Amino acid sequence: MHSMLPIEVAGESLLLHPEKAVYWPRESTLFVADIHFGKVAAFRAAGLPLPPGSTSAALDRLDRAVADAAAQRIVFLGDFLHNRDARAKQTFTCFARWRSERAALDITLVRGNHDAKAGDPPGDWRIDCMDEGELVGPFCLAHHPEPDRRGYVLAGHIHPAIRLQGRASDGLRLPCFWFGQSVAVLPAFGEFTGTYTVKPKAGDRVFVTADGRVVEVSGLIGR
Amino acid sequence: MNDRFLPIETPISTGNSSQNVLESAVDAWFLQNGWSVFDFQREVWAAYARGGSGLIHSATGSGKTLAAWLAAVIAHTGRPGETLPLTVLWITPMRALAQDTRLALEKPIRDMNLPWTVGSRTGDTTSAERARQAKRMPSVLITTPESLSLMLTQADAREQLRHLQCVVVDEWHEMIGNKRGVQVELALARLRRWRPQLRSWGLSATLGNISEAMAVMMGTVDGGHIIEGVCDRKIVIDTLLPSGAEPFPWAGHLGFTMLGEVCDEIEATAKVGGSTLVFTNTRSQAELWYQALLAAKPDWAGAIALHHGSLDRDVRSYVEAGLKSGMLMAVIATSSLDLGVDFSPVARVLQIGSPKGVARLLQRAGRSGHAPGQVSRVTCVPTHAFEFVESLAAQRAASAGKIEARRPVTIPLDVLVQHLVTVALAGKDDTKGFEYQALLDEIRSTHAFAELAETDFDWALDFVTRGGKALHAYAEYRKVEQRDGRYLVEDAAIARRHRMAIGTIVSDASMDIRYMNGARLGHVEESFVARLSPGDAFTFAGKTLELIRVREMTAYVKPAKKIKNLVPQWAGGKMPLSTQLADSVRDVLEDIRQSRAGDAVPPEIAVIERLFRVQRAMSRIPSRDELLIEQIETREGYHLYFYPFAGRHVHTGLAALFGFRLGQLTPATFSFTVNDYGFELLSETPFVLSRRLLEGLFSSDELLASVLQSLNAAELSKRHFREIARVAGLIFTGFPGAGKSNKQLQATSGLIFDVFAQWDRDNPLLAQSTREVLERELEFQRLESVLEAMRKQRLTIIRSDRPTPFAFPLMVARLREKLSTESLSDRIARMQAVFEKVA
Repeated sequence: MHSMLPIEVAGESLLLHPEKAVYWPRESTLFVADIHFGKVAAFRAAGLPLPPGSTSAALDRLDRAVADAAAQRIVFLGDFLHNRDARAKQTFTCFARWRSERAALDITLVRGNHDAKAGDPPGDWRIDCMDEGELVGPFCLAHHPEPDRRGYVLAGHIHPAIRLQGRASDGLRLPCFWFGQSVAVLPAFGEFTGTYTVKPKAGDRVFVTADGRVVEVSGLIGR
Repeated sequence: MNDRFLPIETPISTGNSSQNVLESAVDAWFLQNGWSVFDFQREVWAAYARGGSGLIHSATGSGKTLAAWLAAVIAHTGRPGETLPLTVLWITPMRALAQDTRLALEKPIRDMNLPWTVGSRTGDTTSAERARQAKRMPSVLITTPESLSLMLTQADAREQLRHLQCVVVDEWHEMIGNKRGVQVELALARLRRWRPQLRSWGLSATLGNISEAMAVMMGTVDGGHIIEGVCDRKIVIDTLLPSGAEPFPWAGHLGFTMLGEVCDEIEATAKVGGSTLVFTNTRSQAELWYQALLAAKPDWAGAIALHHGSLDRDVRSYVEAGLKSGMLMAVIATSSLDLGVDFSPVARVLQIGSPKGVARLLQRAGRSGHAPGQVSRVTCVPTHAFEFVESLAAQRAASAGKIEARRPVTIPLDVLVQHLVTVALAGKDDTKGFEYQALLDEIRSTHAFAELAETDFDWALDFVTRGGKALHAYAEYRKVEQRDGRYLVEDAAIARRHRMAIGTIVSDASMDIRYMNGARLGHVEESFVARLSPGDAFTFAGKTLELIRVREMTAYVKPAKKIKNLVPQWAGGKMPLSTQLADSVRDVLEDIRQSRAGDAVPPEIAVIERLFRVQRAMSRIPSRDELLIEQIETREGYHLYFYPFAGRHVHTGLAALFGFRLGQLTPATFSFTVNDYGFELLSETPFVLSRRLLEGLFSSDELLASVLQSLNAAELSKRHFREIARVAGLIFTGFPGAGKSNKQLQATSGLIFDVFAQWDRDNPLLAQSTREVLERELEFQRLESVLEAMRKQRLTIIRSDRPTPFAFPLMVARLREKLSTESLSDRIARMQAVFEKVA
């Protein structure tokens, strides 16, 4: 079992899971951003011979996070399906089976830019789909990390990573959770997704995952 | 136009008599131009006339082009009254050279009124010209390896090439050592299967392995001719000496000590109506020298210019034109001007900093003195004391003919993977694609794949048809398909995407640099821009610019008002000293070691005599069979300095290896610094250095594994995988202007590497990445032989209380990473002042 790191955000306590998910105990909800399901399959369909394995691995990681948190609900903060080609047969069979074995789980998708093109997942997967801007408690659920005066925004989209300065040229770049004044950006859950290096402002809190733990690095970020 | 020599109305028949007529016309054309035919040119013509192939090499341009070109002109007469069909393919490594080559080939046929037409097909060729060529090909087509491969995928390629007699491979020395050379080899194999009597002629600068260079081009064809192009020009290598008597810096920081002397040289050359080419080793050094020269001579603005590979093509063309016309007094350039046709007004060539290699220096020398009878001369401009030794070493190596070899690439599976798809696209109807055995035989007829194992071929074929072992169950993957015993590409989108991606040139991910009005200045590495924030200033294209914002893949800038400079750290600046030059450096050191006070010494050594005096006083100058190790203790910790003189790549490997092995014996952590002469290991905790321990360091036991582990080779391979992923078609770079729709198919090579490392660990492309890192970034074979030599050398361990002159540059290199520039130069000056007192 992985240990989760408790933090206080918008008056609520949240737990950061090392598999790059955020858990909200009061609502038994696990937030996951940018899983980009089927991205590898989409590459294969375009003639790029990438090995399989990442699809089931992502689901295994999701299982671990759900189990560790004893979550009853998953909210995908956008970019659930990578694109139309992600609807490849093997990928879909794989997810459908996973879903049927976890019937009690409540799943919601906040549509992101990729979902708009890829289309909503099939109905029998029982995934509630909604547009950005839904309010739950103090939180505004979104995909794009843009401030919303109605609530504290939980978002994804940019796949944030942080550069940590080591000795001499020995720099390190790691995916991160980035909690700003009014917006939180989750790291991309999907493995084959790439990252974008962010430059947090003073006062922002930044966390990375390393060796199965979540570590705060807010103090290590030199500008 | 002169048509006296070849009356075109005279019926021409093939055969010796008409060839004799043509050869005398060519003789007369030479005379008319005030030249005479060299013996080597006649040798080429004779060999060509007998149907032979070969390689023409010489140190500098000496009529190689005319030797090969006129051989074809004399041999192929065509039918009376008709222009020749596509008879000769002329492969050039740079499309920027195509236009100059075209002019060079056109001149004799126009002057002699011969029935040849000249055309080119490169990435720059307009669609109108392509359409014209589709109707009727020129008699000689100038093309690049990439455009040739692309041409071979066309449905009617074989038809268009049915009269082909000869392929000329220009600047073969530029391609033999890399994957483009392999691409040329594969294209030649294809063409030779279509035209079994095809001749091939390579043109090359002098290399240390010239017969191997020919063998690589010839593949399985027997009996090539190696012909040396003699030239009437002498090559001189010398050193610019400081005019003042002040001591020369022992470590290079900015290296502007000789700025005044360089200004004087440029001025003196301009007075006699010549231009000066100032070569540097890196783009950032070129930028710095350009700025420094302008600061010293503000009235030279507009009369001097900058030329390097990151600048916009238009800017470079403008500079090249200025150089050709003699408008520019001086151009500060990098290897971007190493290649290409002659810039006649260039009268003087300066090399700033280490020459790095002998062949490179000779090539640069050849940029000057183009008129017959003139001397080609390159003058080394040292930026720190040791470079005087290097300059002298280069002179000796050059006069002894010790020139670097360029080793050909063997069995690059990424190129094979690309080629399989390329060939699967080719042809039409029932000749589309390829058959298994025929293609395997064809590929094995190249030098690169002569030893290709059938299992490797099968793997590559499986990879492009079914995605390799890991993908067999996946129906959504298809690239090459199998039909009636042939392998071919049926999907039009895949074919289009592959055509876009043919080639093996991989540049760093780069960002455009533009003014706000859209004017493009050039490009720099993305990683450099990533380190800048809006408002930061940096030097580029000779201008100081301020970053305004980054949007998409463009950095928008404006002229900066701030003085603070941050020069781009371009990649590729860390070229190692070649084995030949390093060897020669040891010879020079041996002479210095044996010299006695009062002996006559070369002027280069006289200038830095003090350095060696101090070195002798504090430590010693090692002999050839001796390994010098210096041990020093400072406030920073415990330093060990080794001096194998084997170039920075090997030193990086050795330093990491020794640090790793020492760390296993004593619980100390080592950091290291390297340069071309030696390396430093630094530990914060003391350790005992025994002879037995040192012998353990030099051991060859588990060498490869230890080196890989010590250097975090996994990380290096991952970085290098970019090239392999690009060549093997694992990265889709997108269509120009296709916009966002393709973004969903983009992934970095790092991600792809991770996916393979996790799910398809045995993929041979991963192993290839590690192999190429070992060969290119670590020179592993050289490291092995250096280590072997170390085991035989006598060990001398000197304990000193301060760094010696040999150690000084290493210490400075380490400090440079830590301190800001101003305080560093002050500190260096202070430290050197302390040393000077010892002497």
